[in-house]
Amino acid sequence: MNNCIRLRDLHKSFESPDDGSEIQAVDGINLDIHTGEIVALLGPNGAGKTTTLDMVLGFTSPTSGSISIFDRSPREAVADGRIAAVLQAGGLLRDLTVQETVTLIASTHNNPMSVDEALHRSGLTELATRRVQACSGGEQQRLRFALALLGDPDLLILDEPTTGMDVEARRAFWETMQTEVQRGRTVVFATHYLQEAEDFAQRTVLMANGRIVADGPTDEVRRQASGKRVKARFSTERLASVSATISRFDGVRSVSSDQHGLIIDTTDSDGLARLILQDLEGTDLEIESASLENAFVQLTSNEMELAR
Amino acid sequence: MNFNTTYYQLELRRLLRDRVTIFFTVALPALMYFLFGASPDYGSEPIRDGNVAMWVMIAMAAYGAVSATTGIGGSIAIEQMQGWTRQLGLTPLQESDFIKVKVATAVTVAAAPISIVYAIGFLTGAEAPMYVWATSAFLLILGAATFALYGLGFGLAFRSEAAVSAAGGSLVVMSFFGNVFFPLTGWQLTMAKFTPLYGYVSLARRTLTGGATIDPETSELIAEPLWQTLANVGFWSFAFAAICIVLVRKSRVRQ
Repeated sequence: MNNCIRLRDLHKSFESPDDGSEIQAVDGINLDIHTGEIVALLGPNGAGKTTTLDMVLGFTSPTSGSISIFDRSPREAVADGRIAAVLQAGGLLRDLTVQETVTLIASTHNNPMSVDEALHRSGLTELATRRVQACSGGEQQRLRFALALLGDPDLLILDEPTTGMDVEARRAFWETMQTEVQRGRTVVFATHYLQEAEDFAQRTVLMANGRIVADGPTDEVRRQASGKRVKARFSTERLASVSATISRFDGVRSVSSDQHGLIIDTTDSDGLARLILQDLEGTDLEIESASLENAFVQLTSNEMELAR
Repeated sequence: MNFNTTYYQLELRRLLRDRVTIFFTVALPALMYFLFGASPDYGSEPIRDGNVAMWVMIAMAAYGAVSATTGIGGSIAIEQMQGWTRQLGLTPLQESDFIKVKVATAVTVAAAPISIVYAIGFLTGAEAPMYVWATSAFLLILGAATFALYGLGFGLAFRSEAAVSAAGGSLVVMSFFGNVFFPLTGWQLTMAKFTPLYGYVSLARRTLTGGATIDPETSELIAEPLWQTLANVGFWSFAFAAICIVLVRKSRVRQ
């Protein structure tokens, strides 16, 4: 497989506007993204996602480390139309119509997709003559997407593409995106909607505090990070001693109790289940996969503790 | 030589949609010329080979031209603030291509009020030799570029659309205190010589007066050395450019 994006020991630091101290926005990232992948860059605000994508797009230069996009510099890849992006917000002239905006950006490319085709693919044909300022947030996002398609890029970067959309608009947006992926584009998107990573990305890169804290197939990142949640009931008088035994068991991360019994987060649910049923006389055993939401909280909070 | 004509045409179309700007850049100067240049009796009084109506007309056209270019300069700052510059950064368009489009747009919009006011002047009694019409119009277009920097500086410093409108409004004030809308005398004239619009307008008017301004009380010409006019234009062009450079650097650091 060909390498689309190659990041090596990437660092970016800023001077804080408040006290002039140095902020490490991106703190040593190594990442390879291959042709045809759909990758979610997941992390809370301030994790360094946008800064990383800004460097990939050549908007800002790294403090140290290297970036290559299709074996060339980001600016060259942009000038060749091989990489394009859907920006997070803004980036449109409100007094132009949808069609004029597409026509304008098309005029900057050497061999652009036709304006009608771009409007059609992004579902904007009906809105062609509407002013940008009269478009909803979802419609404006479709317009940004149409602009990104014009250069027929091999790699599409989406920075929190569905921010401000309602559920319906968000679903429609990802449906359109699926079609583009089937046409062979590589897609990298930043998000803090965990559901989006689970629904759409084959691979998830989890970022916190400017570092990558997990990277792999989306379901594996979830499994590796969070393991399982086990619930069981015990007789009231034995609850304290059972709880103590379980906390010492391998793989157990946390134990809490509610009126029904104990709730345990663990990476070894099979071993724990055996212990509970055979030795601890537990009843009503339940095992469930934790959502990516839990994985997220787990991994990023671990990372923050390390950072302190 | 690649020039993006599509972008240039769309820029003009955007401007034509902006009725407020059209009023201030074209209709207002035309009206002011009509009231203060064409209609009054003093309009037909001679100045060298021309007349007072011509003298008023040059100033009103100048006001329209700087209103237009101030707006263009300010719009660049607003577009940057709204992320449009970032959007263009995702295309093969070079920064130099962008500048070419903006300069061409600025020249066009500066030329519009000048041509319209000059046309009205021509039909309503403004008189001067042909070379005065041509060179004064040329100097007005050239000097209006300085005020694109003025608008850009305002926009970069205050980062809001209101600030750019305020920059446009400030031109009215500077026109009153800069000997543009009506002739000043005495200490007011002395003060005016230090304001930015004074040098710009005086330079274009020199083609008519040969280097003088009118005393409104005696209707005598008051001579002014060329170096004073040039010093004014030079100082303000340099000051606006320097302020813009500082502000652009500052905004880059912020990113």
